Amino acid sequence: MPAKFDLNDSSVVVIIGSGAGGGVLANELAQRGISVVVLEAGKRLQMSDIKNDEVAMFGLFTWMDPRTTTGTWTVAKLWPTLPVWTCKLVGGTTVHWGAVALRFQEHEFKPRTRYGSVAGANLIDWPIDLKEMEPYYERAEEKMGVSGRNGMPLLPISNHGKVLFAGAKKLGYKEYRVPTMGINSVPHDGRASCQQTGFCIQGCTFQAKWSTMYVEIPKAEATGRAEIRAESQALRIEHDAKGKVTGVVYADKNGVQHRQKARIVCLAANAIESPRLLLNSESSMFPQGLANSSGQVGRNYMKHTTGTVFAVFEKPVHMYRGTAQSGIVMDEARLDPSRGFVGGYQMELLPQGLPSFAQNVMPGGWGRERAWVLDRYANVAGLWVIGEDLPQEKNRITVHADKKDQFGMPIPNVHFDDHPNDTAMREHGYKQGAALYDAIGAKKIVKVPPYPSTHNMGTNRMADHPRDGVVNRYGQSHDVKNLFVSDGSQFPSSGGENPTLTIVALALRQSEYIAEQMKKGAI
Amino acid sequence: MKDANERGKVSRRGFLAGGAATIVTVAVSGATMLLDPGGAWAIELDHLTQEQARVLLQLVRDLFPHPRIAETYYARAIQPLNDEAGRNGSTKKLLADGISQLNRFSKAGPGKTYADVANEGARVAAIKRIEQGPFFAKVYGTTVVSFYNQPALWPIFGYEGPSSAKGGYLHRGFDDLDWL
Repeated sequence: MPAKFDLNDSSVVVIIGSGAGGGVLANELAQRGISVVVLEAGKRLQMSDIKNDEVAMFGLFTWMDPRTTTGTWTVAKLWPTLPVWTCKLVGGTTVHWGAVALRFQEHEFKPRTRYGSVAGANLIDWPIDLKEMEPYYERAEEKMGVSGRNGMPLLPISNHGKVLFAGAKKLGYKEYRVPTMGINSVPHDGRASCQQTGFCIQGCTFQAKWSTMYVEIPKAEATGRAEIRAESQALRIEHDAKGKVTGVVYADKNGVQHRQKARIVCLAANAIESPRLLLNSESSMFPQGLANSSGQVGRNYMKHTTGTVFAVFEKPVHMYRGTAQSGIVMDEARLDPSRGFVGGYQMELLPQGLPSFAQNVMPGGWGRERAWVLDRYANVAGLWVIGEDLPQEKNRITVHADKKDQFGMPIPNVHFDDHPNDTAMREHGYKQGAALYDAIGAKKIVKVPPYPSTHNMGTNRMADHPRDGVVNRYGQSHDVKNLFVSDGSQFPSSGGENPTLTIVALALRQSEYIAEQMKKGAI
Repeated sequence: MKDANERGKVSRRGFLAGGAATIVTVAVSGATMLLDPGGAWAIELDHLTQEQARVLLQLVRDLFPHPRIAETYYARAIQPLNDEAGRNGSTKKLLADGISQLNRFSKAGPGKTYADVANEGARVAAIKRIEQGPFFAKVYGTTVVSFYNQPALWPIFGYEGPSSAKGGYLHRGFDDLDWL
């Protein structure tokens, strides 16, 4: 039975956000006997709210509090009011994620060492390495039920995958397969196996896809030590004269503000809201923002180098049938600067239903050329280039002095300029993606610029030295010992892999550390 | 449902891009009605004049020119614009001003509108002149959703829509591709 903690109970760990970081951390701590209050800005949905309806689900679970965006990235022009697509509900963006579950490669934890100094890029190595992460990746894959690991078979190949693999083979690629995915290929952990529904991105009605919404959150609540407070939007984190955090001020669904006291605060609000909260928590002791002596809070924003290639064929593909992202080509994920860029990228299936495809295939596009493509929707295949983008200090989340949200809090701006390395990688990805589809007889290729960012990282990054980052190797603030960052904003590099598995692994590791430190009385 | 000739003007206008005259615009009790001449359906657009309705219909047809799609779907697509014009005075003005500008840019001639311009190239050129502005953004942003998000339209495009209630595609062809 779920717990209920008093606002004045300062013994609790307060976690802001209930997604891959916050939801996992909440469960891990609760399982270890630690009392947890999760403040989730969004609503708690029921499974009956999850529908196979792209437009309706977008409206239901997307974070749509106002944001602005600047910079030369195409998103600022094409999607000026929605630079980022993350979610606002219990479960966070794990309700929406495509479930590709990949580990980072060894060199991606050490980009400064392995790529060298790259002009304009604020590269640093992670304080940790793949060897240290391996047991946590292992545990994450077990807990999530990653298919292709621990004896659970990979998901089967769909029509859309057949097209991708045929093109990959023709092009001479070798590393094409169904990826390891956070989706059951057999019934597991009380959840059904994948029914090839095709609406993964809108929420899995069968619960075959892992999500904290119906996995970690209920498990945490069942311990009797976790309280999930939905429609509780964190506004400020408070601290005392000694510089230790003391609690979180949040607004409830009626806009009434409350203060939940805390022994420890863990920020897992995703990579826009987490730094925003720190910046909005500035005080005379922390004039640059709470825990921001490095000046790096909000900086080094990364969202992966992305782009989409659609191809129209003469015969049907029905790309919307089946698990959305169940095909990957990994040959370009290697480190190979002879291609003209450092870092690597994946090519992953990324289908769309008709309503989304109509909006996204040529954003703002109209007329006969576009209609020709739409008329052949059933014959369309599409792949998503997703690769490592380099951290730049100037790419950052800041808060407006004068624009406020419905609670009177300064709203965030997302600034991004492509680095030449990002651009070179994207162009390579477009070229290879087009070549892949051309090799098997595509009639027309459409290249689509990046969508609003679904992978958001880097804005409270880890660093060994307090000058270089916001948190240490455990995601613990350098400045404030009882403050942690538990989401993807910790990442010092973006790697060429979807971030969720790494966020979960880090949360598992962080929960051990927090529990140890609490036991020792250190925090 | 009032007889089309009972009140106000009747004007018969076909879709220039599509061919035969189909939708009839009628003023009934001051509101514009779009009627299927066969009597199968009617859409009330109570915040648009007949002329405005005809222009918007032709505009959406030119934005999304799909020969296989019947006019009824285009008519339904502009309904949210009408409804917003009813709720929001500045939208109503935005649409009115934008339509006037489009009429001018399409060089329709005195007393004529964008919808009267027979030459598709001329209409496309007029759209190009307005496509950076707020009227275009409003019409496009609304209708790219309201047009394509009509479930009855989906089978024409080969999209099968919701799937869970049918047990997903596991036994309904998720891997039936046979041409590779």
